[in-house]
Amino acid sequence: MMKTETCRRCTLSLLLVLALASSFSVAADEPPSQAPGYGALPYSPPKPGSYTLPSMGEAADGQVLESSGQPVTLHQLYAGRMVLLSFIYATCDDANGCPLATMVLHRIQSALRGRPELEGRLRLITLSFNPKHDTPEVMAKYGESFQSGGIDWHFLTTRLETELQPILRDYQQSVDREVDAQGHPTGKFSHLLRVYLIDEERRIRNSYTVSVLHPDLVLSDIETLRLESSAPARPAANAPASAPIRAGDDKSGYERPDYQTNSAALAQRQGPPADLFRWARHPVLGLPPLPTPADNPMTREKIALGRKLFYDRRLSLNQTFSCAMCHIPEQGFTSQEQATAIGIEGRTVRRNAPTIYNVAYLTSLFHDGRESKLENQVWGPFLAANEMGNPSVGAVIDKLKSLPDYRGLFEKAFRRGPSMDAVGQAIASYERTLVSGDAPFDRWHYGRRADALSPAAQRGYALFAGKAGCVQCHTIGAKSALFTDNQLHNTGLGYQESMRREPATTPVQVAPGVTFDLSAASIGQVAETRPGDLGRYEVTQNPADRWKYRTPSLRNIALTAPYMHHGGIGSLREVVEFYNRGGVPNENLDPLIQPLHLGEDEIESLVDFLESLTGSGVDTLVSDAWSAPVGER
Amino acid sequence: MNPSQTITPRQPVLAIALGLALAMTAAVPVQSLADETCASPYMKKITGQEDFVYVWTLGVEGVGDEQDKLVTVDVNPKSEKFGKVINSVSVGGRNEAHHSDFTDDRQFLWAGGLDTSKIFVFDVKTDPSKPKLVKTLTDFVAKSGGVVGPHTMYALPGRMIITGLSNNKDHGGRTALVEYTNEGEYVATHWMPTDSDLQGAIKTGNFADGYNYDVRALPRKNLLVTSSFTGWNNYMMDFGKMLTDAEAMKHFGNTVVTWDLHTKQPKKVFDVPGAPLEIRCAWGESHNYCFTTTALTSQIWLIHEDAKGEWQAKAVADIGNPKDIPLPVDISISNDDKLLWVNTFMDGKTRAFDISNPEKPVQIYEKTIGAQVNMVSSSWDGKRLYYSSSLLANWDKKGKDNEQFLKLFQWDGKELKPTFAIDFLAEKLGRPHQMRFGAHALYSQVAQQSDKAQLAVK
Repeated sequence: MMKTETCRRCTLSLLLVLALASSFSVAADEPPSQAPGYGALPYSPPKPGSYTLPSMGEAADGQVLESSGQPVTLHQLYAGRMVLLSFIYATCDDANGCPLATMVLHRIQSALRGRPELEGRLRLITLSFNPKHDTPEVMAKYGESFQSGGIDWHFLTTRLETELQPILRDYQQSVDREVDAQGHPTGKFSHLLRVYLIDEERRIRNSYTVSVLHPDLVLSDIETLRLESSAPARPAANAPASAPIRAGDDKSGYERPDYQTNSAALAQRQGPPADLFRWARHPVLGLPPLPTPADNPMTREKIALGRKLFYDRRLSLNQTFSCAMCHIPEQGFTSQEQATAIGIEGRTVRRNAPTIYNVAYLTSLFHDGRESKLENQVWGPFLAANEMGNPSVGAVIDKLKSLPDYRGLFEKAFRRGPSMDAVGQAIASYERTLVSGDAPFDRWHYGRRADALSPAAQRGYALFAGKAGCVQCHTIGAKSALFTDNQLHNTGLGYQESMRREPATTPVQVAPGVTFDLSAASIGQVAETRPGDLGRYEVTQNPADRWKYRTPSLRNIALTAPYMHHGGIGSLREVVEFYNRGGVPNENLDPLIQPLHLGEDEIESLVDFLESLTGSGVDTLVSDAWSAPVGER
Repeated sequence: MNPSQTITPRQPVLAIALGLALAMTAAVPVQSLADETCASPYMKKITGQEDFVYVWTLGVEGVGDEQDKLVTVDVNPKSEKFGKVINSVSVGGRNEAHHSDFTDDRQFLWAGGLDTSKIFVFDVKTDPSKPKLVKTLTDFVAKSGGVVGPHTMYALPGRMIITGLSNNKDHGGRTALVEYTNEGEYVATHWMPTDSDLQGAIKTGNFADGYNYDVRALPRKNLLVTSSFTGWNNYMMDFGKMLTDAEAMKHFGNTVVTWDLHTKQPKKVFDVPGAPLEIRCAWGESHNYCFTTTALTSQIWLIHEDAKGEWQAKAVADIGNPKDIPLPVDISISNDDKLLWVNTFMDGKTRAFDISNPEKPVQIYEKTIGAQVNMVSSSWDGKRLYYSSSLLANWDKKGKDNEQFLKLFQWDGKELKPTFAIDFLAEKLGRPHQMRFGAHALYSQVAQQSDKAQLAVK
């Protein structure tokens, strides 16, 4: 009696499917109660082959029964074919559940009739998740109306619940037996409709639920897979192979209402590696021979290891920071997106990230000159709580020992395992290779090529070395120029920062060409207490050293905005204007800082000169940096 | 229209079956019209009383165990523990906990960390009162090809689509959409269109910045919409420091992008200046529009389909006085598309806009929720509104204004009335951010009055 009742429900369910399958003539204005799959697709289906369907992973195997009762595995049925897989139970009378899936598959079967190129390549599978009721005989009955030739359609069940459950788990079929208010089974199941499109290599390529299961969409996807397997993948349209060597998020002119973006695709940020060992040993016009400490001679192995360490984000407490997150290659090996750096967890760093171009020539490191050797300097950011945040030297060394991709590298470079010294020496070796000279100025001044420098820049040079007196700190030698005296000076800027009162309002740019004045009270609500900065004094505790900062080199200065130790000046012109005013008077103001009395033309010429200091090797070094591994895991 | 008028049954038995089918479907809104009220239309929704609110909470140095945690609050008024914290799962580290959302089957809650880019997956089905951390995705950056800052977790069929905010190359704003399967397997990265690779999209104005923030789908229009915020450099920076940093302020998103939902291809890039953040699409069958609000320029923008079937973007209302930078943050749309709640962080207010005419939103109500306010989550019926305080760890207010709370208000159509408040600092929890709802009934095997495909709980 029970069986008879069940079969009647089964028949009704099938009729329901057929009825729904016959209702495709219903226009787009059917009531919203029907699943979209029953109506016309309210938009044009995508053109097959115009898009890709990324793999959603391997389609799992499982032991099932054909409607003939023959055991078979899912993978046997998948072999070499595209498959559309749906899960149902035969007595399901939820129009927007199992019948919808069967109707859509039926519609696809009908649509592809007469497509011999697909008949052997696509298989429809309907698998019951109610094996107790849905015997092979029941599934045969369920499927008999759909065996009309063309695309073959298998109606499957399983022998045992234990064989079914892994399949349901692997295909995310959350199926619960429904009970009534008294806790008695209703014979129905609560489940989320899922239909899968599987490719010929048994990879799931799409998953459809009630809201998106529509014959036209599935047909587009099937056709896309067919085209994909018959044609090689095409590169993205109009995508250049690599991005230009520049900051990829160009905000030049952002202050103007007519600003236009000039953004570069990150996927194009790629370039060939360079032979840095050779690069560093090659004489560079305008620069002295590369100094290397006697106890840390350069080797290819050290450079390679140092480069890997420099870009490795894992070498911070929470795996988010490498040296290169502040010394960004295409941003002049500094960071152009903020005035002063920020470290792990967004912690404030007081000063602007200095460029490390030509850092090999510096004898005074950090803005306050507190280190003199690169090998030692390296550990400052590693251990600073507001930079890379590592808790100890040992923690870094232990991490390096545990990372499989470092296995053997220290041994190869140093004949010993990771150590504090070795890390410092390796990174210093890489940083020393970031040599950039042979700028237009060098070709003009040292190379004696009269046309290498524009007349305006030549006038700028005359001012630089003469009236403006810049050369007193930004030194130029007879055979080479470092543009720094490696000394520390008080320009008054640090004094000004320490002593200034907060303005009543601050202009805050909120969009291109849109700036609002925000009150000090508003900013104060969300601002941490601004940390002080006394410059060199923090190293010596000598009051005479208050607000002294290291003279930076000016090589590649056009690439390293914003400027000064606090990054508070956005353009070279504003920097020149600052010095033209004679800095900021204070008791420790360096006597070399005096009002310059430069006219507008002279300021322009000086800027032209500064812009002529961009070295010729920048592209090579940045491109090499782009090819370095970032150390993600 | 009566569908039976348009269909000619072939034979009586089919007619019977068809009648049965239509009778069954007539009462069933299959296309989930809304969740509570802002989540994916592909997801189960709670249309009745929610039992729990899951609060994705940022750890704070010096507060409790100092690490991020998923806090479960009992919010069923019939419960003895109504308004109390009943569970807390610490996940390790301060990851800049931010947004979270469920998979389409609502079995798992995915919660992201904007700093470490970790994604924590909680099982909320086995025991909805005690979410269990079952998986931590630690390689999101590597798998995605360098995307940093998983933000919106949005359910699509069988998969999660995740907006990135930044990248591992410069910590700036250029980023991507990333797809994962519900099981946590990486599927694909879809980079935001940039000038050097628009990927076939039309740059309708001056901007194609490649930034990203939120994502929402309008399935019946095959539409995906994304907005744009800023990169790690800014969202992790002290807010006051950033506001006074002219360079930093240049690095905010000014775009909304429309995408082909099915193919995940970008179609149009719109100028929407001033960091458009949350996106909420209307639910009505003929309401082909979405709203977003700009954080810095304080405007409501309408992303809408015009008479020619083309998608457009336009500013339709100011929020407060934009010159004061009230900083609109979270928004919430009502299930009837008539009300848009807009929170403004700086003044701690929630504002109700009448959006009956989407082209002319009108503010009809406002209330100060606290010294600061960020997120708002509405029950399906719009009667209960939950508010949380934290925006970002380093953007939250300092000193006495650093209130950290979860508050429930009842909305009677005219006024918000406080029901309970939990002080997350006093409870030693941290900074409460995203709120998502849980209910036992979602996972009940008791037959519902309505069709299962509705995915609803009455």
